[in-house]
Amino acid sequence: MRFQEAKPDGRAVVYAHIQADPLVIRVASLLAGASTSQRVLARAAMNGESTDPAVWRAMFPTLFGERAAAKGTPERDRSEAILAASLEVADRGEQTRSQFRGAIVEALAEQLLAVRTTPVRRERRILFDGRPAEIHPYDVTVERDGAAEAWDCKWGARGIKADVIHQLDDARSGAVSEGGKLLVGLVVFDARRSCEVRLVRERGPVAIDGIKLIALEGLDRLAGRRPA
Amino acid sequence: MSSTVADLVARTLAAFDVLAVTAEPVSDELQYVTDLSTVWGARLRAVAAARGAEGSPAGADAAIDALEAETARVTDPHRAIDWLSTMPQVALAAFGEAA
Repeated sequence: MRFQEAKPDGRAVVYAHIQADPLVIRVASLLAGASTSQRVLARAAMNGESTDPAVWRAMFPTLFGERAAAKGTPERDRSEAILAASLEVADRGEQTRSQFRGAIVEALAEQLLAVRTTPVRRERRILFDGRPAEIHPYDVTVERDGAAEAWDCKWGARGIKADVIHQLDDARSGAVSEGGKLLVGLVVFDARRSCEVRLVRERGPVAIDGIKLIALEGLDRLAGRRPA
Repeated sequence: MSSTVADLVARTLAAFDVLAVTAEPVSDELQYVTDLSTVWGARLRAVAAARGAEGSPAGADAAIDALEAETARVTDPHRAIDWLSTMPQVALAAFGEAA
């Protein structure tokens, strides 16, 4: 088993600019240190129609109301920063925001994984002897001898599709057939409950026990932390 | 008179049903929409069963007002499917519940 840089096609060249956008980096950094409620706020605001922050402050009383941390505290400041950045993404228009959201989840996964392990890479193929390379690269990989990982990142549970599951399962079984080990999984910025129903419907003949699912509520597990 | 948790759950479920209808034109995702309705409906009804008679937590009435209004703005069926997975989590957070 070996990792290889993916050859960029036209789409990848355009997408690379989005991945490098300062807004993507800023949102991912804010979310890396966020609580679950703050991450739900980000998902809602980036999925929503309203770009008026007052709407979202009303919708999240535990972050902005009388049950929230006091104004001026780091926690409250982070909630405000997440809201502002999320609305900047939402304001970019449907096509662009969709690409931004995907890039944010990848960057977030990369940052969280880097807390726990190294080296963490993006957009990499995994090659096995005697097998053709998969068409799509993996979003995030950990290329550590004896403890390699491959993650596909999705903004929503709807992104969990049969082909994604099969590719991950193929990689896992490819590693096993070479006497190695590869942890494979999905990082989904969506509710675990939604991801689970999607995964069960889309898995087909794949035994999903071998595929790790990290949903919005459990993102800190990527960093080796208990969920905040 | 302030609302109870049961009142707010009922309003959340009604808004959820409106979203599910908005999502219907995406025929490929009908099963997924049905699955979401099943699991999130059960989760929300469990909150009503456990805490229904409680008065609504501070800010929760305004949160559900805002959630209903935001839900009503969603007219695109694909956006509705995304929102179907998100809005129950927002409501649960307002109730002080885990997802």
